[in-house]
Amino acid sequence: MNKDMQIIREVNIQAEYFYADAIQLGNHAAYALRKNHRSQLTGLENLANSALKVADILDYVKRQTARFPYWREGFPPAENPTQSFGERLKDYLEIKLQERRDIICGPKMLNIDNKTEENRHLRRRIYLLLIRQFLRQMIIQYEFNVSFDGSRKEA
Amino acid sequence: MPTPEQLQKIYDLSDNVLYPEAVAFIRRLVDEEDRSPLPASQVTGLLNITHAASYSELEHFIRHQRERNWTEAKQDMKIFYSELEKLFSTMKNKRVKDEFQLVRHGLTSREAQQEIDELMIVLARDFIQHLITENGLLAVKKATERARRR
Repeated sequence: MNKDMQIIREVNIQAEYFYADAIQLGNHAAYALRKNHRSQLTGLENLANSALKVADILDYVKRQTARFPYWREGFPPAENPTQSFGERLKDYLEIKLQERRDIICGPKMLNIDNKTEENRHLRRRIYLLLIRQFLRQMIIQYEFNVSFDGSRKEA
Repeated sequence: MPTPEQLQKIYDLSDNVLYPEAVAFIRRLVDEEDRSPLPASQVTGLLNITHAASYSELEHFIRHQRERNWTEAKQDMKIFYSELEKLFSTMKNKRVKDEFQLVRHGLTSREAQQEIDELMIVLARDFIQHLITENGLLAVKKATERARRR
């Protein structure tokens, strides 16, 4: 199997592991953004699909969190109910998905260290693929959740 | 204009070096040293100059802001611009070539200097973008804390 196929396979396997987390964040998004702020997530998904750097995606989440109060809404059923949607999403992308990237790139899997330029580009690409997968799952759950009227659904 | 290879390197640097350093830079000033976040007027000014200017114009702007006669209440601005000037100066005079290894080999010193300026405006834009988004979050956090205390 060539490297590209291996990367896609490993990203898809990791996506199975973080599916439950994406559902949780999708529910939080539905609670905080509701139906009328759908464009916020469309904007995020479009940006993530075209971004060349992870930092641009994190900046978008942070900018919207600072700008709009609904990005700063907590979620009563969450482990930390006062943590805002924006902060929770940023932390997940920045910490959890980076850990997933490190697992995929570790010596037992794809063995892509960060010692050469080529490897650093590959690691960035894998990280972006993980973020896109996660956001796709999260936004599908958000759409599903807000499709019900008055959907302040709990997790 | 950086080459495609240089741009790829800059994207990696952005994620692994510039982003964490920009976040740490503004957090140190606002959180650890308890200074004010940048106000909206400074954010707008800095963004405008960063997107429209050459690196030497940006350097000039930062120096001008640092040298301004800020009132006592706005001394944090003077400190912010002094720190930013120092950081970019080290980046330009040392890190771009030695640490980031972005400058191509075989250039005359004049060509190398021009290339460094062209690379620096791209790096500075990126750094300032990260810094300003983090600044926005810190400003909201400070405002929320102030409101809670009232």
